[in-house]
Amino acid sequence: MIDRRFIQNFYWSLFFLVLILIAIGVVNLYSATVQAEGGKGTPLYQKQIYWACLGFFFLLIILFFDYHLLLPAAYPLYWISIVLLICVLLFGRKISGSQRWLTIGFFSFQPSELVKISLILALAKYFVNNELNHRYGFRHLYLPFGMALLPALLIIKQPDLGTALILLLVCISAFFFLGISWKTLFVSSGGMALILPLFWFFLKDYQQKRILIFFQPESDPLGAGYHILQSKIAVGSGAFWGKGFLKGTQGQLRFLPEQHTDFAFSVLAEEWGFVGSLALVTLFLTLILSALNIARQSKDRFGMVLAFGISVLFFWQILINMGMVVGVVPVVGVPLTFISYGGSSIISSLICVGLLLNIHMRRFIIQS
Amino acid sequence: MSRFQLFGKDEPADLQRQFYVATIIILAIFFGLVSRFWYLQIAKATYFKRLSENNRIRVLDISPARGIIYDRQGVMLVNSRTSFNLYVIPDDVQNWDLLKVQLCKMLHMDQEDIEQRLAQKKDGSIHPIPIKLDITQDELGLIESFKYLMPGVYIEVSPQRNYPLGLVAPHVIGYQGEITQKQLKSGQYPENRMGDFIGQWGLEKEWQTELGGKKGGRFLEVDALGQEIQLLSVKESIAGNNLETTLDWNIQKVAQNALEGKRGAVVVLKPTSGEILAMCSSPAFDPSSFTRKLSAKQWNALLSDPHKPFQNRAIQGQYPPGSTYKMITALAGLEEKVINPETVFYCNGSFPFGNRVFHCWKKGGHGAVALHKAIVQSCDVYFYNVGKRLGVDRLARYAQLFGLGQPTGITLDTEKSGLIPTSLWKLKRYKSPWGAGETLSLAIGQGYNLTTPLQMALVTATIANGGSLFQPFLVKRLVSPQGDVIKEFQPRRINQVSLNPEHLQFVRDAMAGVVNEPGGTGGAARLLGLVAAGKTGTAQVVTLGKRGGRDHAWFVAFAPLESPQLAIAVVVEHGGHGGQVAAPIVRQIFETYFHLPPRGTEATSTQTRAETPVEENNLD
Repeated sequence: MIDRRFIQNFYWSLFFLVLILIAIGVVNLYSATVQAEGGKGTPLYQKQIYWACLGFFFLLIILFFDYHLLLPAAYPLYWISIVLLICVLLFGRKISGSQRWLTIGFFSFQPSELVKISLILALAKYFVNNELNHRYGFRHLYLPFGMALLPALLIIKQPDLGTALILLLVCISAFFFLGISWKTLFVSSGGMALILPLFWFFLKDYQQKRILIFFQPESDPLGAGYHILQSKIAVGSGAFWGKGFLKGTQGQLRFLPEQHTDFAFSVLAEEWGFVGSLALVTLFLTLILSALNIARQSKDRFGMVLAFGISVLFFWQILINMGMVVGVVPVVGVPLTFISYGGSSIISSLICVGLLLNIHMRRFIIQS
Repeated sequence: MSRFQLFGKDEPADLQRQFYVATIIILAIFFGLVSRFWYLQIAKATYFKRLSENNRIRVLDISPARGIIYDRQGVMLVNSRTSFNLYVIPDDVQNWDLLKVQLCKMLHMDQEDIEQRLAQKKDGSIHPIPIKLDITQDELGLIESFKYLMPGVYIEVSPQRNYPLGLVAPHVIGYQGEITQKQLKSGQYPENRMGDFIGQWGLEKEWQTELGGKKGGRFLEVDALGQEIQLLSVKESIAGNNLETTLDWNIQKVAQNALEGKRGAVVVLKPTSGEILAMCSSPAFDPSSFTRKLSAKQWNALLSDPHKPFQNRAIQGQYPPGSTYKMITALAGLEEKVINPETVFYCNGSFPFGNRVFHCWKKGGHGAVALHKAIVQSCDVYFYNVGKRLGVDRLARYAQLFGLGQPTGITLDTEKSGLIPTSLWKLKRYKSPWGAGETLSLAIGQGYNLTTPLQMALVTATIANGGSLFQPFLVKRLVSPQGDVIKEFQPRRINQVSLNPEHLQFVRDAMAGVVNEPGGTGGAARLLGLVAAGKTGTAQVVTLGKRGGRDHAWFVAFAPLESPQLAIAVVVEHGGHGGQVAAPIVRQIFETYFHLPPRGTEATSTQTRAETPVEENNLD
């Protein structure tokens, strides 16, 4: 199955880019947690390395098979993820208030990470089956939108607003990319503009307040606002050159919430300053544009939609997480791809990279 | 392929072009992100650097004003005063040993107490730890003068309960106390932290969420000594809501004074709604003593007091109802048609049953007695006869109709349900069948029967209002600090006792006879210008099978006879006879409520003695 041409066409730079990002993540994780853990158990950064190894193993397996094999499997995989999401709600493990983990044997994972991939696969399959000679209208979009809405609602229930939001954003991005008819675009955005205020009107006082705080965390200085300010202090005090590795006071004194997961980037920004932040953002930008390039070069529609879906998935995750850390996006709890701690997140991201590399390798093979 | 998308409606999107658009959008957004980094990390770097040094951000609570508790006429029963609490913020402390010594001296505390308070501290924590709550003015002055020498010390202002009228129904209103570790861990008080005061008992506890309001906070920048430099943002607290209770301070006051020095309880309620006008239990405790932290010793002293000042005898005191139960026996007899108002039994002072003899309190006997006279003079022999004809289970059914043997559902903690025995109950409890002789004791309210004063007040109210059993309640309205009514509580009828109205009228008339007829046992409650009705009772005190101490005195009453407005139950522990001790309290309450001229106390006492025969229930 593997032939010489595949190795020649292997996207080495993308592969090394991902390796570098994971290495940065592990080093940063070391700084974020070394103080707090006090040597008990396996340190988190080490666990992260194990997760990454497992992820690379999956990545490698994916390379061996033609991604077209996934075409018939797309819908079944989607439904399996939905069933897993329902299982999470029924007997998932609760960690600090949200029910996101499913335990099988001695290890637990987040099906919501898996669903990101299977949704993109299902959308790709849908748009392969429905290639039109005109733009997409309601008639063709309500079904794929439902495909995204169903897991999004199940995930909101966990509750994990961030992941749910990302699923919807990926889906809508794909619509825009593949072309929405102007009528559909105007009518649906007009409809939204009408329904939202009505919806607001029906909410109870305290629910309205909760939403306001969500969008304006500064109005709740004791809760969400506190974390955002602490995160902004961390990022801002890093200044141009940063405070240096292991020298970030905000992170080391544990003023940051979730500093090894959702707020991992603020530790990095504090210790490496503007230079470090800029470097990381550049790496991410390269990642996303490479992924987009793979989509552009892919020789068939399935590969293109798949690669595009993965690019926007990365894009939205990175944008929302960084935006949250610097206080321009509400705190919704989204991990930073390759940088935040989390087994499910890193494995699913590496599977995505595997798919990208796969599509790239086979870009010259014409599907019969 | 058209390049003009707007007009090329039906053309599919030009995907190559879409890739350029996507790339441009992504580049633009990332550029925005980088500008944000530039803003935070370069433009505002000095500002954030300053904030990050030793993390100089503090979040300090703003305590909300606690709701005020009023009586039904708007008299302020409980309000709040300002109290000053001393906290330490560990991150700001520079020399712990010095600070401990300073605090010991200034606050008159033992080193041990302070150590205990600081046990949970984490160095570098910015969360304030309470050291001493509600410090005195002198202590405050001292601390304020030397505060600059004691970095880390911080004074918080919070409202503390104040009792402008002195002791007002402490058992009902309850008290506030510092939140316990257990309560903090329970997760029921997510907003609170160590050192906060919350309602721990009574209305203060039941209405904690409403009274307590919502905390606010100040988000500030401090210098290395913990002194405020700049206020970053403020979240105002939201004041708690006020409670308008059903209590009537005038009545409550009379009841409290009347019970002064005695042990017992008074419950006054409106028979037409179940509103409680007064609820009093004696001896009482002083709720203001909890504003400062009590030492373990003081706590133990309070808890082990043999007079049990914490017990709310009105709902937790369970007493045999004594002769006040005879109304129920009479009604059960009439309804079950085992007697009618004309049924006459002969009382010669005793009633032989099986191999035992049951006595009437009047040794010489009452002679030929019909039902009216039997209630007026509280003839025991008459009711032995009725009880014998009824049997235990029929009697119990009527008691239960009136709500006895079950909690009344008043929203106060740990209400006791009392006990109305049935033959089944005895079989379960003692594994022995019911003895017919025991029914005779029950018929006159002795034996296993247990009732709370609140339950007996409700029985009286139900008889007075023609059979409506109301849920007793204490809060009329919940009012916002601005005066808007948030919630108004309506009377709730739990049960309509379906009894023949003539029978109820008959019993009410007999109860009027108890107070107003010569030979009636409740003459001490007689009023000038108003017909009151009542019933005396004497509950035997039996401890471990032996009679212990003097009997408990009961009096239940309502007035006026036609269209009753008040129902009352009074118990005086070891008071002896209901007519002598409990009835005068009832009279005082009626006089206050109906604005009647008082009967001279001296005249009354002689009259009482003349008119009130000594009640005695001699049982085996």
